[in-house]
Formats: sequence, structure tokens, C-alpha cells
Amino acid sequence: MPFSAKLDEAMMRPPEQVMRLDRMGSSFPTRLSFMRTLIRRMSKEKWRFEKLRQDVDENGYGVSIYAAHTPERTYSLIAFTQDIPADMRTDRVIAEVWDATFNLFDGVPTQADIDYLAQNTPKQEGGRFRPSELSLARANKSLRLFEHIVSSLADGKQPDVELLASVGYIMRTTAVYGSGKFGCADRAKIAERGECKVSFHMELLAVYLIRWFTIDLVETIAKKRGGDRAVSLESHIRQFIGVGNSTGLGMAPFLLKHPVLIHNWVTAKETALARVRSLETPVQGSLDAYIQSVRQVAQHLKEWRVADEVQSARIAQLETEIAELASWCDDENNLVKPYPWNGIYQFVEDNFSLECQEMVVSLIIEPHGTLVDDLADTMFSTTVPQFEAGMSLARLKSIVRDYYAWATNIDFSLSESQHHFWYYSEDKLEPRFGSKGVDDGVDQEMPLAIGRDTDDLNEQLKSVKDEMTTGEFVLQYPQFRHIIRRIQNTALRPYAEVQDNLLGETMRPLDLLRFKLAFFGASKFDPKSDLWTRISMYQGAPMPDQLADVEHDDWAFSIRPKAPV
Amino acid sequence: MSEQLTISLNEILFIFTRAGFGVNAPIGISEDFARSNMWLAENGFDPSLCSIVALDSLDEGKSSLAIEQNGDGFSGTSFQYLSALQASVSALDWITSDQGSLLTIANVDSPLLVAAALGANHIEGWKVCWLDESGANFQVNIIGKDGWQIISDTASVIELSKGATMTVSLLRDSELALEGNIQRFDSKAEKAKILQTGVAVHEHWGAIVAYFSRCLVKSTAQSRASGAGAGLVDTD
Repeated sequence: MPFSAKLDEAMMRPPEQVMRLDRMGSSFPTRLSFMRTLIRRMSKEKWRFEKLRQDVDENGYGVSIYAAHTPERTYSLIAFTQDIPADMRTDRVIAEVWDATFNLFDGVPTQADIDYLAQNTPKQEGGRFRPSELSLARANKSLRLFEHIVSSLADGKQPDVELLASVGYIMRTTAVYGSGKFGCADRAKIAERGECKVSFHMELLAVYLIRWFTIDLVETIAKKRGGDRAVSLESHIRQFIGVGNSTGLGMAPFLLKHPVLIHNWVTAKETALARVRSLETPVQGSLDAYIQSVRQVAQHLKEWRVADEVQSARIAQLETEIAELASWCDDENNLVKPYPWNGIYQFVEDNFSLECQEMVVSLIIEPHGTLVDDLADTMFSTTVPQFEAGMSLARLKSIVRDYYAWATNIDFSLSESQHHFWYYSEDKLEPRFGSKGVDDGVDQEMPLAIGRDTDDLNEQLKSVKDEMTTGEFVLQYPQFRHIIRRIQNTALRPYAEVQDNLLGETMRPLDLLRFKLAFFGASKFDPKSDLWTRISMYQGAPMPDQLADVEHDDWAFSIRPKAPV
Repeated sequence: MSEQLTISLNEILFIFTRAGFGVNAPIGISEDFARSNMWLAENGFDPSLCSIVALDSLDEGKSSLAIEQNGDGFSGTSFQYLSALQASVSALDWITSDQGSLLTIANVDSPLLVAAALGANHIEGWKVCWLDESGANFQVNIIGKDGWQIISDTASVIELSKGATMTVSLLRDSELALEGNIQRFDSKAEKAKILQTGVAVHEHWGAIVAYFSRCLVKSTAQSRASGAGAGLVDTD
């Protein structure tokens, strides 16, 4: 492949550009997002999918099991469905009941396993789980869509595609836990397995199986209700059905507590972008594919409708900008020249919004699978940051100066700079974003104030000699141990930090959520406040019986289905 | 032993970090404390057994985090015990910054945690020896990446050893043949087992969780209303 390592490096966007909240909050999925890489793995390794059990009544209540057979082993989704009071159906962590609850099981469960989980899974955080359970999840029905699809299919008709497009999913997950939560398997148990190595692949396998389960469930209920009259969903409609998700503040602490992992994710994406921008001549067919994707994304944007005023305005602007970009690309003079991808990127960066810039990052990476897909294998971490006691304070001071100017330039003496604090509520450990002077709990603040703590450290460092080691320093000032450890490790991993004040009055946790969700591969961000968002997952992705199709990887920025010709 | 609960290593990390914070240890020290507890758990121990000694002692004011260094020795600054939370990170820092080959630490409340800190940080070829206030002798040899030993002259449970004057020093090959009650551990194999079974914790787990719970903020109508997803039932 004709790219130069040197040019790549020069084309890398710097952390101070990439790791800003406003840009992070404009992220889109790319072909390196975890849902995309998981689907490619499933297809490449010819995973088999099998419904092992479905014991449900005419309303769909009961237990179902769906298995994914990889070349090495089997994973099973165990789904429990139940009737719940409508007024108890909430997206919050503190909910007590859900329409459906799930575990991803390591292997094929025995009846004893199913009996054990039947007593625990519906309780979610109130249950206890074992290392055989890789993840724990729950979902609620979309009331509008669930019944519509069931009744349509039972009547022998396909559902209204307009309605389907307006929701996008039959059920919406409200949490997908993994990595040792509530007794589930630790990540270390599975981290060495090829299919588990990349971040969140097991959690996203659970979601993929949940999607299949939801589609199978509505078809099953329709069949029970309609008998011979009932039909199944047409395959192009099935493929457009995703899984919803509501995501709140839990994701924010994760991002901040895993700086090495975040660095690795961002480095992979930025390296992919740099490789593409470094191409002097386009790979054959890639420009045509890109131009086609610009047209498709225009339709995708028309279908991305949200109630949130801020996001609606951003989508409207994005639609205008994508139309302008399409016109610009129609002029051959803009594309037929050396480094065309860099030319496109620069044009967009110079002229359009952050949303458009980040969307174009996704679009120009998309046709370059052979150039960038290897980077997916780097998007994990096993590193535990160490405290370097022997480091001199001179070195520590230089790292703070070189990498944390964003923090030390914030005036934390201003009340608006420390308006917020992060804490865990005693209500099911729900993470919350408190306001000083309004909410209790400042003394129990989570240690996520990276900027403020760095600034405090910086002030203290001014009073001590350069020759002292950090080990000697923390003997006197142990309160800085955590932030020093973080800073020492950031010097090696410049994309590790969110370079903004996470306590500021105008800070929107939503930006952190979208950043992480885009890495997952989520789409159709639908903010419900600055604290949480709904999204779609796997919308447009191949169903299990479509994984062998040639087009199995062509589902970026999916659009509503048209009847097959 | 009381009723057993099985937990994950990740839960140990989460709970112990905040339990340390719950007795007012700085968060950075609490993070190391939690890593030490993970290492103990990976090796088949119930980490709550020794850590409750350290947490109770700090909480009751019998131990202190205040520490002084005098050459190659650490001691507390008062007549209280020196908290193992502080002693363990100080010993670790002393070793990793190449300050010498023999360190003494006086009057540590829960000495096993100091040895665990070395294990958790892959400090190889070092030994930790101590005489505790009951007169029991213990030696922990951190031999290599995955192998370590406990040598003792007593039937006492090492997790409950308390009030120790300790030495941390380079381990010579000849010392591996010491007589006494020797327990040998293969960390890699032990961890592989634990990942399949989970970590069994017993009667002190509840007290650890109680310290952890000090990090949680009481919920009010106001805070519930301002949480993510507040006020919404399914409308989509």
C-alpha cells in the first residue's frame, strides 16, 4: 500500500485538537468501531448462530436461548421476558423491572444454570452472577413499535417502514454490564481469546444476539396470534431493525478511569485517518465509493430526527454542509490531484462544523479497509499504570508543562470552573453529576477532576526542588499520588486525557457519552438532556443469516429499506 | 467460616479502592491498596480478612498514615501503628526507586499487605520478613513473576498477623531452602483457577462494604430528579 510512515505521523491530528469535549461530542462511528469489527470477525470466521430454546407464551413471556458458535467455542444469550407495569418502565439505572433481562453465558447453559439465572437475572443489580456469565443486560420494549410489528405480522402484513424508521428498534437496552460486575466473569478470564481481545466485543455480541432475539420474539408472538395468516419480517426490513440503548452517566467515569485504553482507541482511529490522508493517489474505486457514501449519508441525515433542539440544529447544519461537500466533490479539480483525501479533509476542516468534520473522517476512512483494518487489533489494553517513584520532579514538572497546559490554564478559583462534581449515589450506585451548593456529596466526590487535581499539583510543585523524586514528594504530599501516576503515564500516551474541564458549569457529560458510543459503533444519537442519550445499535447490520453475504460490511450510516426490486 | 459470597476481581478493585477512601486514605494510596487485595485474591486468599484489620485500625485511630523516613527505615510518627496502606506504597516506592537492598519498617498494622503490594507490582527477588506482636515470625519470598512462598514458624493465620516490625530485602537463592512451615504459590495457576470460580469472601466482607459505602451519597428527591433519565417513562 503506497503510504509513508513519515507522512502518517505528520498527518496525525494532535491531542489538543482531538481530545476536546466539543469535538468528542461530535463523534461518529467508523469502520474501526467495535460493532463493525465484530461483524467482520463473525463473517470471516463463519460463526454459526442457533436458537437453542424458546419457551414463551402467547405474549412472549418466558425464556429463550440463542447461541453463537465461534470456531473455538460457544456463547449463549439467555433471555427472560416478563409482563411489567407500564408505569415502572423507565430507562434509569434505578429501575426495578424490565420487559426483558439477559445474560451472555460462556458456553451452553445447563438446566441448573438456567434455573439459577431465572432467580437472579430479572433482578439485575440485585442478583448475583458467576464467572460463567460474561455479561448482564436488560431491555424495555418500544411501546409504539413492538405492538405495531406484532399486529401487522399477525395480520399478514409488513410493518409501516416510516414508523419503523422513526424508532429504529423493537427493544431498547438500558444497561449492558460486563467485566466482573455483580460477580460476572472478569475480563481477564476471556481477554486472551481472539474473539474477546478487542474492547467490548463480548458485550456487543450480547447486544447482537439481543437484536436477533427481539426480532424473533415479535415474529413468534405474531405467529401465535395470527396462526396461518401471520408472516415473518422481510429480510430487508429485519436488517434495518437495530437495538436501542439508553446511556447515562455511567460511561463517563469509565472513560476517565481507563486513560491507556482511551489512548489506544483514539490512536487507532487517528492513525487510520492519517494513513488515508497520506495517500498520494487514491486506491482504485475508493473515490467512487466515497462519493456514493456522501449521497447515502445525506439520506441518513434526513432520517436522523431528534427532539433535542441543539442536536436538531446541528443535524440541520450538517445536512447543508454535506450537500455543499457533495457539490464540491462533483468538481473534478478538487479530487483529481495528489493527496485527494487530505484535500477533502482540509476543505471540510477549514469550512464546516465539527459534526461535519467528524462525519467526513468516518466517510474517508470507510473505503480503506485494507489500509486500516489491522488497527482494530490494537484497540485494547492490558496495561496497569504504575507509579514511578524514581522520577525526578524536574521531569514531572516538564510533563505537566508539556502535556497539561490545558489544565493549568484553567482558573479554578472561579466558581464556574468548579461548578460540578461527580459522585455515586447510594441508589444502585447510580453515577450522578452534582452541582456544588445544590447537591450533597462534595466530600464523596469521585476522583475524576483531572484538570483541577493537576492544577493543584502544579501549584504545589512550585514550592519544591527539582532534584526531589516523586517518591519523596508523595511521602510529604500523599494526596497527589493518584494524579502523579496518571500524569506519568500520560507522557507516554498523549491521547489519554480529555483536555477540558470536567467540572465546569457548561460541561456536557453528553459529549463524553457520544465519544464512547461512537467507538462502539452507535448511531442516531438522540440526546434527552445533557446527561443521557438514546442511540441505535446494529441498525442496518447483517442478520446472522446474512453474515456470509458479500455486502456484510456495508452498513455504515444505514438508510431505511426500500422494497427489493 | 460464615456464609460465603463469591465476587469478582473487578469488584475487589472497585470496592477496596473506595473502602480505603472511606477511612480517609488518599485515593492514590487506596488504588494501590485495592491492587494488593486483588493480588491476594488471585492467589486464593480472602482479602477481606487482612484488610479489615488495616481498615478498622485506621478508622479507630489505632493506626496512622503519617510516616517518616530515616535512611533505610520507615516508621510512624506517633505511638500508633503505621498503617499498612501507607507502609506498602512507601516500601514499593523505596524499591522501585533503587534506594537500597535492606529496608526496615516499624510497627505495621497488617504486614501481609506490604508483601502483597510487592507481589501486585511484580517486584521479583525480594523477601519480606516480620515478627509480629504475638511473637510469630513470617517470611514472604516474592521469587519470580508467578512464584512466591510463605514461610512461618507458627500455625497462626498470616492474614491476621498484626503489629509487625518488618524488613524488606533482596532475596538470595540460598534463602529459598529455609526450614519451617512453607506454603508455595504459583500465581498464574492460582489466578487461572480464581477466574473460573470467583473469589470467596466470608464474614468480614460486609464490614469492607460498609467502609466502601461511605463513598456513596445519600439519595434525595432533588438528586434523584437530576439523574440521567430522570422523569421519563417509555414513550418511544
